[in-house]
Amino acid sequence: MALTRTAPDRARGARARPPGSGRPGWRRRRDAVGLVFALPALALFAAFAIYPMLRVFQLSLYDYNLTSAPVWVGLDNFRFLFGDERFLASLGASLFYVVVTYGPAVLLALVLALGLNTRMRGSAFVRLLYFAPVATSWVAVSVIWRLVLQPEGLLNQTLNTDIPWLTSSTWAKWAIAIAAVWKEVGFFLIIFLAGLQNIPKDLQEAAALDGAGSLRRLRYVTLPLLKPITVVVLVMAVIRGFQSFSPQVVLTGGSFGTEVINLFVYKTAFASARMGRASAVAVLMFVLLLVVTFVQLRALRRSA
Amino acid sequence: MSAVVVAGPAPPSRKRRPVGKVVVFVLLLAGGLVFASVFVYAALSAVKPADEVLASPMRWLPTQWLWGNFTLPFEQAPFARYYLNSTVVGVAVTLLNVVTCTLAGYSFSKFAYRGRNLLFFVVLATLMVPLEVIYVPLYALVFDLGWVNSFAGLIVPSATSAFGIFLMRQSIDGLPDELLEAARIDGAGELRILWNVVAPMMASPMAALALFIFMTNWDSHLWPLLVGNDEEHRTLPVGLAAMQANNLGSGGIPMMMAAALLALLPTLLLFLVLQRKFVEGITMTAGIK
Repeated sequence: MALTRTAPDRARGARARPPGSGRPGWRRRRDAVGLVFALPALALFAAFAIYPMLRVFQLSLYDYNLTSAPVWVGLDNFRFLFGDERFLASLGASLFYVVVTYGPAVLLALVLALGLNTRMRGSAFVRLLYFAPVATSWVAVSVIWRLVLQPEGLLNQTLNTDIPWLTSSTWAKWAIAIAAVWKEVGFFLIIFLAGLQNIPKDLQEAAALDGAGSLRRLRYVTLPLLKPITVVVLVMAVIRGFQSFSPQVVLTGGSFGTEVINLFVYKTAFASARMGRASAVAVLMFVLLLVVTFVQLRALRRSA
Repeated sequence: MSAVVVAGPAPPSRKRRPVGKVVVFVLLLAGGLVFASVFVYAALSAVKPADEVLASPMRWLPTQWLWGNFTLPFEQAPFARYYLNSTVVGVAVTLLNVVTCTLAGYSFSKFAYRGRNLLFFVVLATLMVPLEVIYVPLYALVFDLGWVNSFAGLIVPSATSAFGIFLMRQSIDGLPDELLEAARIDGAGELRILWNVVAPMMASPMAALALFIFMTNWDSHLWPLLVGNDEEHRTLPVGLAAMQANNLGSGGIPMMMAAALLALLPTLLLFLVLQRKFVEGITMTAGIK
């Protein structure tokens, strides 16, 4: 995302202010003050974002437990991980979570957005109902869903089923995905609604005048114009999905096949005190996210 | 809010619409009510006697309305402490972000110094690196600084944000340079211009940023769990998760529901009051103007 925004921004900045070498002294002094304004943020970034970013690559090549000096192990951490069933299982759990949560959440959000993109009386209220979970915290919501997912909880009582949602390897990953869809739909709904509002009304009307029915307008006007937003949404969805932590901690503690990659990193680093190995997982996660983002943005560029 | 407003000539298919529209609306409303039922269920469970929450067959309403359950989190856990910590950390992080991001946004937008574009690019590039990738070395750094289990550890690493800087720069770009020049001709210093000219005109994006940062921080779980996991420093998410782990029996369910609802109330209220700002903040994360 960041990268797509930057190109035009930089071009515009450069046009507005050619970095003239012949600037008068007062002008240079003023610009120096400007640089000072950026320093607090830059110092914070240097210490708490860029330094740890470089260090995570370095630590991934070491055996390190926080209290004694790091020991160089080369690629051992990576070699270990690719043979470690628990790591591979956590990778699988994360992929499952991303696909089964964000696939339905994004699709549902798109459908809801198409329906709610009206000025009909009451649609503002209906929107609120879907937005509300977005404004709540993951942990609080997970505590509530723990009750909903109990054997005698709301879900089983409503469906008239008797499923052990949180205590079975078959169901636990689905249970977390259900809770997460509920939590995340509103987020993507907000984005799709904004995207729909950006589509010029006259395009729709022109198509309607040409005799296109509402389904055809959806297929040939609305959806193609939503494509760029959909790609951005998918990138965000994948990134959000791989960051998941709280619902797994609160709902299952990572048992029953729900130890997602982020929880695996947490446990490796802070329960087993293997900071080097945890860093190696973080590096792999970073590369994975980068590749996914790149592929999706490329797909966007090709289709645009 | 008015009913359907149609701009321009009505397309031919408009006539058939109302019935279909109503059907769609009813479906959307029904779905929304299903979503909201989770909150209603939690709220009703919070005021039930403990042995009624998981009764089968289920009853929505309690036989006795135990409003006193809402004080249980404060009596059986240091819930007031968690609340205070979340508030202190949330407010501090929000204020620091508004200040650092406005300053940096102004700098990147209205000044021309060597390396400016490169610095801005580096800031934006950090958007690609989530906390989840860097938290192990970040924790090691904070550990070396002696900030584990301290408010400094909870606040300082979150004191600025790439998204905030991007947002403020975009907004300040829209300010005409003539305005700043006029203030300069009047003899105002740069800091004075920022305070008296830029900041007042940027109140709206600053508010959107503040809301976004506060809500994100209120939700933050992983980092506070690492650097604030003693009773003195636990924020609401960390405290709630700890309470949950200690109250797995059904006896504690009404208390846990009360605690969860109390924990999500501030951001839910903020959202209801400032809905448009909230939507603005989220759409900006997706890069839609």
